[in-house]
Amino acid sequence: MLERLVEWLENSALHAVFLSYGWFVPAVQTVHILGIAAVVTTISLLSVSLMRGPAVASGLAEMTQRFIPWAWIALVVLLVTGVMLIITEPAREILNKAFWIKMGLVMLLTALTVLMHFAVRNEANFWSASRARRGAAVMLGMTSLLLCVSIVAAGRLIAYVQDY
Amino acid sequence: MLSELANYVEQLPFAVAIAEGDWLFPILESIHVFAIALVVGSIAMIDFRLLGIGEGRQRVSELIARMLPWTWSAFGVALISGALMFCSRATAYVENPYLQFKLVALALAGVNMAAFHLVTARGMARWDVGMTPLAARCAGGISLSLWVSVVALGRWIGFV
Repeated sequence: MLERLVEWLENSALHAVFLSYGWFVPAVQTVHILGIAAVVTTISLLSVSLMRGPAVASGLAEMTQRFIPWAWIALVVLLVTGVMLIITEPAREILNKAFWIKMGLVMLLTALTVLMHFAVRNEANFWSASRARRGAAVMLGMTSLLLCVSIVAAGRLIAYVQDY
Repeated sequence: MLSELANYVEQLPFAVAIAEGDWLFPILESIHVFAIALVVGSIAMIDFRLLGIGEGRQRVSELIARMLPWTWSAFGVALISGALMFCSRATAYVENPYLQFKLVALALAGVNMAAFHLVTARGMARWDVGMTPLAARCAGGISLSLWVSVVALGRWIGFV
């Protein structure tokens, strides 16, 4: 089924157009990396705040409101550039184990980012309201950071893992 | 002379280990990508503030004080991981024009940063809140352009 998707993409007009420019892949990857920079920086800052605990509680809500929109904008940029890269070299991603692991991790991080965003929306002190929540905040921060690192690694490994 | 030095470095045990190992190089690359993401991201936050992009309520001095530790620690990690990767294929990299230009761009970014901190930032107390002066906006714009170039040139290194 995935092979059929690859074939379909390889026969598409966009694929031919994108492939005809030698600079296309590195240029799109550069934009992709800039998107990664936005997500990694935003999530890292918020994760560290979550792990620091109640001392930063009120600052956290304000920080979240300020930073998280950038993470969402970056996610859109990453998805668009990602799709462009897949159209240009379909087999490289679609038939690659590292790519699918990365996609799973991205979905997880997205879910956690939604949690980060909406938890403090109506209740600025959401994460310091109870002991359990303080513990959860630390776990959320650590997990998000770990996911960021893993996604970057999985993304890099796409180039090294060829079999599906 | 440079190629002799490159040759020598490339044959050191740690360099050989990186070049011949299956996972050492990709792991170094991943560390490098994560580190530069933090460098560029943290610097971009300051540049955006200087340029007046996004919410401008935070004091410039506070933003810089908060972001710079991230920038410097991440830069250190990027420098080390980059140097290790470089050593593993020094003779090839030394002749790579993209790497050469990337190092130039990095140096220029450093000069821009120094100029900002030594000159423009002197009067920061006057424009810490609200709109920034032209010199500060130029510094932000130049910084952003240089760092985007660093990322692009870095990506192109592997496409030779």
